[in-house]
Amino acid sequence: MASQLALKSRINSTTSLGKIFNAQEMIASSHIAKARTVALNAKPYSDAISDAVQALAAHTDIDHPIVRKKERNPRVAVLALTADRGMAGAYTSSIIRETESLLDRLDGQGKQPELYVYGRRGVSYYKYRNRDISATWEGDSDHPGVRVAEDIANRLLADYMKPASEGGVSELYIVFTEFVNMVVQKVRVLRMLPVKVVRSGDAKSVVGDGGKAPKADATDADDAQADGTSPLYSFEPSVEQVLDAILPKYVQSRIHECLLTAAASETASRQNAMHTATDNANNLIDELTRQLNASRQASITQELTEIISSADALNKEEE
Amino acid sequence: MAGSQSSMQVNIVAADRPLWSGAARSVTIPASEGGMGILPDHEPILTVIKSGTVSAVDTEGKRHSFDVSDGFISFDSNRLTVAVQRGEEPKAGAAE
Repeated sequence: MASQLALKSRINSTTSLGKIFNAQEMIASSHIAKARTVALNAKPYSDAISDAVQALAAHTDIDHPIVRKKERNPRVAVLALTADRGMAGAYTSSIIRETESLLDRLDGQGKQPELYVYGRRGVSYYKYRNRDISATWEGDSDHPGVRVAEDIANRLLADYMKPASEGGVSELYIVFTEFVNMVVQKVRVLRMLPVKVVRSGDAKSVVGDGGKAPKADATDADDAQADGTSPLYSFEPSVEQVLDAILPKYVQSRIHECLLTAAASETASRQNAMHTATDNANNLIDELTRQLNASRQASITQELTEIISSADALNKEEE
Repeated sequence: MAGSQSSMQVNIVAADRPLWSGAARSVTIPASEGGMGILPDHEPILTVIKSGTVSAVDTEGKRHSFDVSDGFISFDSNRLTVAVQRGEEPKAGAAE
């Protein structure tokens, strides 16, 4: 049995770790409320922009590089959204696992995936393995602002618009974690570019091809149909210029949405992980305390036995 | 002032937060081809705007101005949506 001193110091260190986990858990739960407000605040803008794109799609046959890439190019971009900090359970590792399997799949289709990484954990994972990364973004995964979404969208759209000879890419996939609820977060792969035009009945709607998860997009399309025919808009200065202005913003707002849901998922999985860690620390403390008590009791018993037996021995000598 | 009964629903949103919404009598926007005023029951329109000042006059005649970056507006069924990348209230005392 370990010495009482060792047990005591283990109990002490576990207690202080437990306090840290508990604090992290509380920080995470306060961040969730904030993440929710940020997401709610960004919603009107993304709604406005998808409405506008719907109107454009209903009005014209969209012919824009963002919707239809003409040249054939095996290079595709893969953007992985990971966390900046650890202590979030399997958050980053499940993103990386999904990214790896997507890269394999794309390789199998004869494509050349280019890697873009967001979040310090993912960056250090790939740097350590000496993988080529086209671009990285760090430091915003907790609170992704409009600015970082703009940065990412600008960089990726620039690479997308470049011709193949200059290192352009023909598709963009985003690997991110969808926030389902506090307990469930799912890793999703979304094909962001080219934006896909879906014709359903006589209504046309533009949705990002949802890969495995076209759920949000499907509801967008349903709404448009429920509204009936869109009003006949006039476009100023011209349809082409409006498309040029709005489609990049649409992509940016979709990327921002992904960042926000990823941030909420990160916070939620951090809270879950820290909750489990606090529970484990408490169990460990209980177990160690039990051991400590047992060992203290054993030593007391041993001392008593020694005292009694030595007293017996003395008595015997006197007789 | 006349025409207080005619108004339109206005929604001004920036990418990170909604800026203002309410009923307005008129709105001026910095359209890409120059300033543009929008009154209730305008025809449906979708236009690109450049950075500048968006200002809306609400039904009480009070003016709400915002400095905005580029974006777009859409108007249909008497509902105006102004969506901009960034926008903020101008500093107090600034001329609109």
